[in-house]
Amino acid sequence: MQRPLYIWKKVLLHRYLYLMLMPCIASFIIFSYIPMGGLLLAFKEFKFNLSILESPWVGLKYFEQFFNDYKSMTLIKNTLIISSMKLFLGMPFPILLALMFNEIRSRWFKNIAQSIAYLPHFMSWVIIVGLMQRILAPDTGLLNEMITYFGGDGSTFYMNESNYFYQIMFGSHLWKTIGWDSIIYLAAIAGINQDMYEAAKIDGASKWAEVWNITLPSIRPTILIVFILSLGSILSAGFDQLYLLKMPGNAELVDILDTYVIRVGLQEGQYGYATAVGMMQGVIGLILVVAANRFARKVSGTSVW
Amino acid sequence: MLKKTKWARMLAIPLIASVVMTGCTTKEENAGNQQNTQQETGKDNTGKPATWIADRKIKGLVFMDADDITEDMNPEILKQIKEKTGIDFEFNLMRAQNSLDGLIAGLAANDLPDFIAFYLNHSGRKEMPIVLKAAREGKFTDLAPFMKDTKVYSKYLQEGYLPLDTNKGVMFRPEFNGAAYFMHMNVSREVGYVTRKSFGGPFIRKDIAEALNVDPRKITTSEQIYELAQKIKAGNFKDYNGKDVSVIGPRYWGGQEVKALYSDLTINVNHTFGRDKEGKIVQEIQTDYPLKRVEFVRKLLKEKLMNPEFYTMDENRATEGILNGSFAIVADMHNYLDFNKDMHYLPIGPLNVGDKPFRMGIDYKTSGGAWAIPTTTKNPEEIVKFADFLASREGKLLWQYGIEGRDYTLDAKGNPIVKKEVFELKDKDPNAAKALGFAGVGNAWGELLGNTDVDRIDDFGEIEYGNAAHPNVDEGPLKLAEYWGWDEKRKNAEMLDTYSPMAFLGEFSKEQEFKAALDNYNESIIRAYYAKSEDEVKKILDQASKQLYAAGLEDYLALLEKKDADPNTKVNL
Repeated sequence: MQRPLYIWKKVLLHRYLYLMLMPCIASFIIFSYIPMGGLLLAFKEFKFNLSILESPWVGLKYFEQFFNDYKSMTLIKNTLIISSMKLFLGMPFPILLALMFNEIRSRWFKNIAQSIAYLPHFMSWVIIVGLMQRILAPDTGLLNEMITYFGGDGSTFYMNESNYFYQIMFGSHLWKTIGWDSIIYLAAIAGINQDMYEAAKIDGASKWAEVWNITLPSIRPTILIVFILSLGSILSAGFDQLYLLKMPGNAELVDILDTYVIRVGLQEGQYGYATAVGMMQGVIGLILVVAANRFARKVSGTSVW
Repeated sequence: MLKKTKWARMLAIPLIASVVMTGCTTKEENAGNQQNTQQETGKDNTGKPATWIADRKIKGLVFMDADDITEDMNPEILKQIKEKTGIDFEFNLMRAQNSLDGLIAGLAANDLPDFIAFYLNHSGRKEMPIVLKAAREGKFTDLAPFMKDTKVYSKYLQEGYLPLDTNKGVMFRPEFNGAAYFMHMNVSREVGYVTRKSFGGPFIRKDIAEALNVDPRKITTSEQIYELAQKIKAGNFKDYNGKDVSVIGPRYWGGQEVKALYSDLTINVNHTFGRDKEGKIVQEIQTDYPLKRVEFVRKLLKEKLMNPEFYTMDENRATEGILNGSFAIVADMHNYLDFNKDMHYLPIGPLNVGDKPFRMGIDYKTSGGAWAIPTTTKNPEEIVKFADFLASREGKLLWQYGIEGRDYTLDAKGNPIVKKEVFELKDKDPNAAKALGFAGVGNAWGELLGNTDVDRIDDFGEIEYGNAAHPNVDEGPLKLAEYWGWDEKRKNAEMLDTYSPMAFLGEFSKEQEFKAALDNYNESIIRAYYAKSEDEVKKILDQASKQLYAAGLEDYLALLEKKDADPNTKVNL
């Protein structure tokens, strides 16, 4: 009886802090935990006239169906390639941008540069892909017009060519996310003790040596935590971007688990099947996050929990 | 560090709570319906007009595209509805990427208003399996008992009034034992009734056809299209901005497959089933049409005779290109498009279909669009009565012609004569005209519940809105129809009272797999057009074929043979 009383006393003492925490907790409960109940659908046959609990059980039927589908391996392969590119290849870029922002001395230029870098984050993929379609259109697109102007063949349909798909996908992803993702690293850099830089300067360290020996090691925990958390979405390669980028010529590379879930779940009304595939994505993500967290804790002593 | 048991507790408790909260939410039942119906009937309606139904609100949810229907109702029209029927009418459009996504999400959300309306050209349309599942699982009210007491919808119960597919495929399906859960719309009063002399297909810029001395009507094969395209390319024609034209451009409404452009290389323009030379029903993959078509399109793309974005261009850019004259040949448009009233685009062909010359097909009776009443709706018979009012001549006059005095006058026979001011406003400011709130000016809300038992000449003495006041209103489209030989083709048309080959998916054991395989087939054909090599084409088509066979193609073809052998379930092949 002693312990609960102690906890309640503590809660009462910090009541305003707890009050401020309430909206966050409520939001988690409403938007993250309650919908989790819907995961039951992965094992049930959805009926319009029954609740999820009342709908009949089908066991692991949908998981079996997915792995029997001739497309499943292509879907998993495409998803892993695209998300790995975004995760591993894309990771250094926001760090580099943050390092560059950190070195800008002119305040107004820094503000303008940061604002321009953050802007694409607020644009929807519909606008970005629309822009790309106009720029990369065959014959009439800006790029092809320029190629024609300089005497080249301006008829390449870049958006439709599978050879250009990864470049377009990764380039547009980077353009949209690099600025926003750099904020967290910029904040971490701002928290580094300035005495270390002063000491390094006294010791005659170059700018490069300062970045390599002070900045990067100091923000290593942040980099690790961001990386671990990103692993959770390894099987979610980004629905909206890829759905919009899909063309007949690149269809074989674009089809990923997210687009598949939407297609079978929403467009064909197979809620149970789509839930099973979605659940699989989540569970694998969770396992990866837990494993990476353990690994990081063992190797570097840094971990999310 | 947290112990394992604490971890388990932390994860398990919210999970169990969420499962209970979501899972235990029972679906609303129609518990009070019968009781409410009894309470409402017997209300005193003395002093009310004969069209009076009940003093209530009727709210609908429409799963259609915003291009086809608008939510905005005119207040004066709403007032007239209220005065005549007692109904406060309101409906919303379900916003979704496409109407089918909206329908599926809407049905699953289990929060439907008094009625829903959706596309349903025939029982083979994509919406059918979804609404059928909902009907089988008790989501909709049986409309049959209410139809007996109506003036217009009671005709649906008469022998021979409904076309075959509407009767047995959509509404009175044998599995429902006399019940009808969807009201199929747009049924014509008379057999073979056609409201407009409309046709679609590829069109060519008139000045280009004339410059090349080509009669586009004489082009009936894809090979002739190819030769024409080569001549256009050699002619170096320009668009209205002085830029080179793209020889074959996409359809007016944006890029997608357009079989009408090479219909002699298809088994059927509307689907992928047909009979082979031995008379056996086959799917297109079992013939050499896909390979021939792929080869043809690849040739057009390779020789830059077809716009590379033919299958992918968005609607805005496609329409903009057509208005600028950027495409010498437009793959698909129709003769009633406003921009072509001066006939500066002329129709090509029509091309042969498969190995047969084109023959116009006329539905035994028209049909399309449907509505249903969820079981949660109170007093569903009032919705049916309201729909019956809208389907009556009085109702149609209101939603098709607007308000007497404001929008039209009546002639000696009681037929509406559209006012000059309405025509002028429609020409000058179509959006302002639309705000007047009736179908004649482009606001087709009444079609949802009232567009059936269609016979405009019988009802209003004119075949098109405004013909009586302005006989020349459709001069352009009618001249195009004359040029195309519409009357002659109508004379020789084939009357069809059949089922779509897709109509039987609902009774096929591998429904989902087979549907997915057919979708994949269509997608694969377009992918093959853009394949890098012949080997890749072969690989794509082989894979599509394997998936079709694995999904039960042979069984489905056997089912189609069985259905087609029965005179009650003839298949459109």
